[in-house]
Amino acid sequence: MSERLAFRRLDREEIRAVVGHPHEMIATKATATIGETARRFVAHSPFLTLATCDAHGRADCSPRGDGPGFAKVLDERTLAIPDRTGNRLVQSFENLQENPAVGTLFFVPGLRETLRVNGAGYVTDDADLLRRFDSDGRRARLALVVEVAEVYLHCGKALIRSGLWDPRWQSLADAMCRGIGVFSLREIEKGAPTGTSAAFDAWLEDVYRRQL
Amino acid sequence: MTTVAGNGQTAFEAVVTQLTLEADAVVSVRLERADGAPLPAWEPGAHVDLILPVGIARQYSLIESPPDFSSYRIAVLQQRASRGGSEYVHVFLRPGQRVGVSAPRNHFALDPAPSYLFVGGGIGITPLLSMARDAQARGARWSLHYGGRSRRSMAYWRELVDRYGGAVQVWADDEERPLPLERLLARREEGTLLYCCGPAGLIDAVRSLAAERGWPEEDVRFERFAPTVHEHGPDREIAVTAARSGVELVVEEDESVLDALLRAGVGISSSCRSGVCGACQVAVLEGEPDHRDDILTSAQQAAGDTMLPCVSRARGERLVLDV
Repeated sequence: MSERLAFRRLDREEIRAVVGHPHEMIATKATATIGETARRFVAHSPFLTLATCDAHGRADCSPRGDGPGFAKVLDERTLAIPDRTGNRLVQSFENLQENPAVGTLFFVPGLRETLRVNGAGYVTDDADLLRRFDSDGRRARLALVVEVAEVYLHCGKALIRSGLWDPRWQSLADAMCRGIGVFSLREIEKGAPTGTSAAFDAWLEDVYRRQL
Repeated sequence: MTTVAGNGQTAFEAVVTQLTLEADAVVSVRLERADGAPLPAWEPGAHVDLILPVGIARQYSLIESPPDFSSYRIAVLQQRASRGGSEYVHVFLRPGQRVGVSAPRNHFALDPAPSYLFVGGGIGITPLLSMARDAQARGARWSLHYGGRSRRSMAYWRELVDRYGGAVQVWADDEERPLPLERLLARREEGTLLYCCGPAGLIDAVRSLAAERGWPEEDVRFERFAPTVHEHGPDREIAVTAARSGVELVVEEDESVLDALLRAGVGISSSCRSGVCGACQVAVLEGEPDHRDDILTSAQQAAGDTMLPCVSRARGERLVLDV
């Protein structure tokens, strides 16, 4: 491997000198509890990102999603996210054993603003709680409970600039994959394709269909 | 205008035109078609799917419509351990909001009879409201026994007493007047049909008491909100033929017959996916169903010529369905 690139590292004061300080209204808009707007936000959100970190500070961010409202606000200081079949690496849950810090970012399709909920997380198999996540006869096996510490509505600038919900940008998926699957591309890149990309994609589609 | 909901059923685009707090934790919702056209007519005991903006579909009994069927009214209990439907209605739904409403279905129809005994528990009063109205209009003899935790939590008890007087008896736990089931079921007048809706405990008690007191099973009708736990055989692979569609498929042990049919592109409607609504009922042409639903009577289950593929499977290895 080549030597890692290195650039000048700014400290806090140097960064502030460039970006300035937030307006007081923005600096104080975080709350410690989930209010009415945040509750509505969560109830309409089908997707979130989940950031965790191990004891050594190694960070990890992973996607979570299901039908709108799949994560539930249990009370103004408690959020629960069901765990459905994933890749079984459960890196987030491994991290939580070492460090309970959790950062989530909720998205609502078509909405430019996002909702950040931070707190301390733990994993449970509480049967009454899991029952609340039943959908189409499927029961979640585990749930992540987040004891909420900070709730914050992000303005929409990043999503506006990115055009994330703009249908025109859907064509990026084809440009990225060039007609085959992401994982097939990766296999080819590694120089070790285990089969044709068509066979691999068919297998993956079957996994997606059967194990969602 | 009609739209097709995600579950393959026809649904109407509707507008919430009124929300009313009917009792502690009970909100009624008045729904009208978005295009102002009348909704389909319905008979007492019918229910519809309410399809919420987040895509969740839940079943609710119809309470009332004006004579021109320009609206439906349903009532929803706020459940503390909500899976999302009840919470959405209570916390987020607002007048003016668009929702989906399915065509009415009825697995709890009020059959003609000279007399009726209605027993309702809690929010289970909802299908009995239209039944009492119908029985009264037809001049049938009837009585309604309505039980609940407290009058504050019981929707429509005052309206019922005001309208029907002594035909309606209200039984509240906090007044130390629980539903006197023993007494109600002790005597059976020939020809009386019993209709019961409420929590599982009430339905189970009514069914077993009625059987003990010699009520014929077919005269005791009930509707559940949630599936019961059924004893059934193991989940095995089943070879299914969808005869009308000309499709052969294998239902794997970890998927439902309904899901396998849908995956194979067989057109079949579905709603609750838990054996309580009856939307997916299909005729069985060959094979023996392993029934796990709360819709069919034990006579219908024993006949084995119909099944609910969302929950029921097969005793053998093969089923031929008329779908």
